Amino acid sequence: MAFCGTFVQPSVSPCIKYIVPRPNHGCRNKFSVRASASGSGDGERTIIWKEKGKWKIKYSAEKPETPLLDTINHPIHMKNLTAQDLEQLAAELRADIVHSVSNTGGHLSSSLGVVELTVALHHVFDTPEDKIIWDVGHQAYPHKILTGRRPRMHTIRKASGLAGFPKRDESVHDAFGAGHSSTSISAGLGMAVARDLLGKNNNIISVIGDGALTAGQAYEAMNNAGFLDSNMIVILNDNKQVSLPTATLDGPATPVGALSSALSKIQASTQLRKLREAAKSITKQLGDQTHQVAAKVDEYARGLISASGSTFFEELGLYYIGPVDGHSIEDLVAIFERVKATPAPGPVLIHIVTEKGKGYPPAELADDKMHGVVKFDPKTGHQFKTKSPTLSYTQYFAESLIKEAELDKKIVGIHAAMGGGTGLNYFQKRFPERCFDVGIAEQHAVTFAAGLAAEGLKPFCAIYSSFLQRGYDQVVHDVDLQNLPVRFAMDRAGLVGADGPTHCGAFDITYMACLPNMVVMAPSDEAELMHMVATAAAIDDRPSCFRFPRGNGIGATLPLNNKGTPLEIGKGRILTEGSRVALLGYGSIVQQCRQASEMLKEHDIYVTVADARFCKPLDTDLIRLLAKEHEMLITVEEGSIGGFGSHVAHFLSLSGILDGPLKWRAMMLPDRYIEHGSPEIQIEESGLSSKNIAATVLSLLERPKEALLFK
Amino acid sequence: MRCYGLTIPGSERGLCGGRPVLGRPSGSGVVRPISRVAFPRAKLREGSNSMVVDLSFYDLLGIPESGTLTEIKSAYKQLARKYHPDVSPPDRLEEYTKRFIQVQEAYETLSDPSRRAMYDRDMAKGISFAFTARRRYDYHHQVVEQRTEWKSRWQSQLSELKRRSNGKDAGGNMSWAARMRQQRDESC
Repeated sequence: MAFCGTFVQPSVSPCIKYIVPRPNHGCRNKFSVRASASGSGDGERTIIWKEKGKWKIKYSAEKPETPLLDTINHPIHMKNLTAQDLEQLAAELRADIVHSVSNTGGHLSSSLGVVELTVALHHVFDTPEDKIIWDVGHQAYPHKILTGRRPRMHTIRKASGLAGFPKRDESVHDAFGAGHSSTSISAGLGMAVARDLLGKNNNIISVIGDGALTAGQAYEAMNNAGFLDSNMIVILNDNKQVSLPTATLDGPATPVGALSSALSKIQASTQLRKLREAAKSITKQLGDQTHQVAAKVDEYARGLISASGSTFFEELGLYYIGPVDGHSIEDLVAIFERVKATPAPGPVLIHIVTEKGKGYPPAELADDKMHGVVKFDPKTGHQFKTKSPTLSYTQYFAESLIKEAELDKKIVGIHAAMGGGTGLNYFQKRFPERCFDVGIAEQHAVTFAAGLAAEGLKPFCAIYSSFLQRGYDQVVHDVDLQNLPVRFAMDRAGLVGADGPTHCGAFDITYMACLPNMVVMAPSDEAELMHMVATAAAIDDRPSCFRFPRGNGIGATLPLNNKGTPLEIGKGRILTEGSRVALLGYGSIVQQCRQASEMLKEHDIYVTVADARFCKPLDTDLIRLLAKEHEMLITVEEGSIGGFGSHVAHFLSLSGILDGPLKWRAMMLPDRYIEHGSPEIQIEESGLSSKNIAATVLSLLERPKEALLFK
Repeated sequence: MRCYGLTIPGSERGLCGGRPVLGRPSGSGVVRPISRVAFPRAKLREGSNSMVVDLSFYDLLGIPESGTLTEIKSAYKQLARKYHPDVSPPDRLEEYTKRFIQVQEAYETLSDPSRRAMYDRDMAKGISFAFTARRRYDYHHQVVEQRTEWKSRWQSQLSELKRRSNGKDAGGNMSWAARMRQQRDESC
């Protein structure tokens, strides 16, 4: 117990006021005998007990009793805990996370895998002076609980509640915001260098996963860290889940790439042991006289300690320690204490091995390890998914791509470790040889697609709108500049709901439509999406892209057999005819325009609703027609400034229409980041809901009092 | 009482409830020497005969020896769901829990390529496919041994780190951070 430096006897623990005895059941008494407990129901509680030295948890829907966790409000409360206390704390923390996420939904198994790591980190280090940077950040739920946000965990991922990822604005303990992956080492190095320049003396810890290590930025950071030699700790959380989500349709994904096999080789090295055994026996045989020989042998063996794959990291300049059992708090605390006490370690990489979803059997057994869940029943892990009459846009996209690929052998699919999220898992099942998962490497995915296109194939790059930002230079330089026919399917365009601004696809219209050769289009419903997939497949002389949102379809009539027909490029369509005011929508926001027009009918106002379909090339004839026959033109898009509205404005001015009597207004996402919340709340806040559109029309028509009805 | 007992006479850790056993009543009366003295996993339930017919890991999971990883995984999932203690019928809890542990062990061994190779080798060496106590000890021991190996490895790595750290910031050709550390130490 010396390692945690406690002088407090176990009996005089900080939780004196809790009279609940430490659970010490030798028998399997599942039904709690705690008559004094205030729980309702007939005793089916989440019980945490210690059996044969290991903590066990039996999950139920009731809130778990967590006497030790209740005393922790700040990492400083963890300093005096003994090793046994820390293990109890970890068990209680697990139960709390399962209970909390079962009620709110969110990311479950990644948090469960790092419970021991978080407990050990906060026990040894002192945030907020020390900085802990979580890569991606969806595993930071235990971190949030231990740093005083436990009372608000029921608001996580909800409007005005806690963010689902670390956020600097939310707490001083969140050192760096995350959401996209592989940034933690870079940020950590920056903070370490700043500390050195300012002459301070705190610790910097970056936690990164094996999946995030497939991105180039991690290596860029490690390379620089090795060169600068600044003191920092990188914790490689290896849970062998190198793809995300962690399943194909048939089962867990096999790890992607050579990195995972290198990591598993490090874990399984037996040659080293044999060599050390041999070395030991030689030393024994040689006896006392041969000090020098023994020392040489020892040094040789020591040099081999970091052999068999860990030279990977040593070559980059990081000192490698591991592998370590990531679920043993004792081991973790011992290592952290030692490294903390070393005066000049330089950058150190601690390789810990964890299991995703550890401690919660339904997560351990699930194909995707229950990575991202909606509300579920803690006892069984069964999720309460709402049934919807329509499928998600992602599924419609996957279906139509499969249909296209059946007819055209050259179509291939590429994604960056998001097989489930982009729907390409279905494509993979159907055409296993034509689907490529490159790991978390968007830059490589884009240039890889460019290479495929250069040789005559038809690559469909399915990357989320916000993740494609990472590969933007490749889109410009490798695809658009060379005019290669790569098709980009940008899912999660526009506002995305609970994930918040880190995943928000606000900028793709702007950054795609400014490229000279790119065809930019957006479907207003799922049938249009299918047609656009066919259109993109047909465009073979230039790059093209289309964007679609998160969410389910509206129930449009799908084309026969899910096979779309190519649209005429640069042609939009008019949905409803009216007078005086025209609403020109781009993308799924057209549905909001339609609803607005229905609302306005009750006020005896009939507006025209048009679906632009293409941002580039613009349907100039349609715009001219609308300008000629209406007094006011309102363009609506779920994107930032510089997108569709901007292109329309440019055309209107070039063609001289803006010199005329037309009133033109553009509705777009406001010039700020929209916080996480439900999609309905987000769209209200951004001013693009049907009510807002109707209100804009009314104010333009100079009927401001009625506009207030809609605010 | 059936004992899978290969004990050395005089060893304290007999297999059957801790009482010393003088070896199996075999015809030759020879007690086979074994490489390891103690059997940490000697927890046979009294009177239970469920260990009598022992299956190889492959039989346990119900897959052929040439089973692929996918087959192993789906077999494991199926059986784990069936035998998990939380979902087992209460009257057969003990049996189901035992099965679950066995299935778990089978999966852990067969899903790891190096351990599976070792298991196949052992299986080829052994005459019977019996799930003997010694073999169980080997595979569980293997996990324990791997963890101990890891522990001793990182302990040495930590000592090496300390040694390197003491010599790091001295000498010529200092890294950027070494220079900063030196400046900081000089100033305070």
